[in-house]
Order: sequence, then C-alpha cells, then structure tokens
Amino acid sequence: MTQTANVSITEDQRDCYQEISNVAMGQAADLLARLLGVKVILPIPVVNLIEVNELRMALSGIENSETVSGVCQGFIGNGISGEALLIFNDTSFNDISDLLKYGGVADKSLELELLMDVANILIGACLRGVGEQLDVGFSQGHPVVLGQHVNLNDLVAANNYRWTKTLAIEINYKIEGYNINCDLLLLFAEDAIEVLNRKVNYLLED
Amino acid sequence: MAIPVLICDDSSFARKQMARALPEGWEVEVSFACNGEEAIQAIKEGKGEIVFLDLTMPVLDGFGTLAQIKQQDLNAMVIVVSGDIQPEAHTEVMGLGAMEFIKKPASKEKVLEVLKRFGVI
Repeated sequence: MTQTANVSITEDQRDCYQEISNVAMGQAADLLARLLGVKVILPIPVVNLIEVNELRMALSGIENSETVSGVCQGFIGNGISGEALLIFNDTSFNDISDLLKYGGVADKSLELELLMDVANILIGACLRGVGEQLDVGFSQGHPVVLGQHVNLNDLVAANNYRWTKTLAIEINYKIEGYNINCDLLLLFAEDAIEVLNRKVNYLLED
Repeated sequence: MAIPVLICDDSSFARKQMARALPEGWEVEVSFACNGEEAIQAIKEGKGEIVFLDLTMPVLDGFGTLAQIKQQDLNAMVIVVSGDIQPEAHTEVMGLGAMEFIKKPASKEKVLEVLKRFGVI
C-alpha cells in the first residue's frame, strides 16, 4: 500500500531540489548556448509540490495571451518516473530558425523540427544533470507533440496524467538579445516523490 | 592562524556542499553568507580573506558582488562557484577580478588544486 496522499517535501528538501536543478539547467543551457551561439539567461528554478490540476498556474514564465507550441517526453530510471514538458511561445520560432540557419520563414513542419531538436537537447541534458547528482540513470521515451499554435490552457489540458500530485520543477530560459522564451518543466510522478526525497535526504545528511 | 573563509550562496544545501569540499586539515574559520550584500559585510568584518561565491542570488548577485569588491577595493580572493558554465559567464567573472571559476558542484580535488595553484595551501 502506498501513502501518496500524504506526500510532502520539507523546506530543506525543496532547497536541495532547487540547487540540483540549478546545476542541471546550467549544463543544459551551456549546450543550447553553444548550439545557437548565444548567451542563455539563467533563471532561479522554481520547485513546487502541486496538484496536477494546478499545473497551468505553475507555468509562470509564459504569458496567458501568447500562443504556444509544446512537446512532452516521458522518462524513467531507478523507480523514478515522470514527464518533461518543453513549451515555446510561438514568437520564438523565427529567431531560433535564424540562429540555426535553417533559412526561410519557419513553417509548421520546420517549427516542429526545431521544437524536437531543442527539446532533445534541453530535456536530455537536464535529466542527465539531475540524474548525475542523484545517482539515477534516466532513459527517455519518444517526444510527443502536445500542440502547435494553441493557447496554453489547451496545451496543458491535452495531456492526461495518472497522478494527482506532482513535484514540478520549472525552468524558464530566455536568450539574450532575442525574442526566445521557453519553459522547461520536469514533472515527477506522485509515487516517485518518496524515492526522490530519500535520495535528497542522503545528500543533505552526510 | 586560521584563514577566514567565506562561503556565499543562497542555497543552504549549496553552502553545506561547498563547506564539505574544503580540504581536510586546512586551518580555516568558515563563515556563511546568503547573498552578495551579506558577503560584502562579512568581508569588511575580516571574515572573507578567501571567498567562494555563487553567481545566481537574490538581493545582490555574484557579478554585483565582484563589482563591489573591486569598487570598494576590498581585500578578498574570490573563487566563483557556479552552475552557469557558459563561457561568457566565465569570461565575465574573470574580468571582474575573480581568481578562478569552479563549476558546481565543486569537488574536493578541484578545490584543492585551485588553492594549491594560488599558493594559499
């Protein structure tokens, strides 16, 4: 029997998750910076234990008025599963297309390609960073498109979760000098939180 | 006499992690600061001859702290410890007078190597 209803995190654990995310997002940002030849502005990651139906509110980095495109990608390792979401505001694509020198105006299929490319880099690097620190090897599933040019509420609603609670880590990347804004969310499954907390306690102890 | 060492990071976990990476048997008096403002204050009080400084922090970040140290001509050897490993961040902090840049999480070996290289140990 699992007691998922009582799952919680302490302030020390939250601080630890934030620091682990901080290191992981730095590694991911470095890869993106090298790929695009730009400087990535790093935020302070936001860590929250939330109800899945509050997910929309957790996406603080993206405005309501903007249309967005997004992909999700499941991950699992050592009994810890979850899902990564990468959401771009739609105005980002022309700048990314320019930076990657794909040439021409970004149409829907080119945008999809860009979305998948950046998702693979950022999600992969972030998970690797988190995994290294927690001593977990994550493997990733295939990325799935959640929607293109849709409003954020619809995009978030497009995904069905089996959990009621999730440990959400939000990282909002911006690129200096460009109109590129993307939100990377790592959502850990409800039944993974206890395992994660144990790993974090181990780091906090010794 | 023990060397005053200051660890400045907004995360308590990161401060602890950094303290653990200090060489064993090194005679130091360790103090902690949660942001750049506290760090400047501590340096003025003589608590930071060697400073391990994070970059992303509220109130006053690492870049601002380095600028203040330079501007006020404070006596501190600053080693930046950051998760922002982009080449630009590295260049910028070195330009602001940091002695060295160590990527997070700092390992015991790396910290020892840097301290030896600068002749403080």
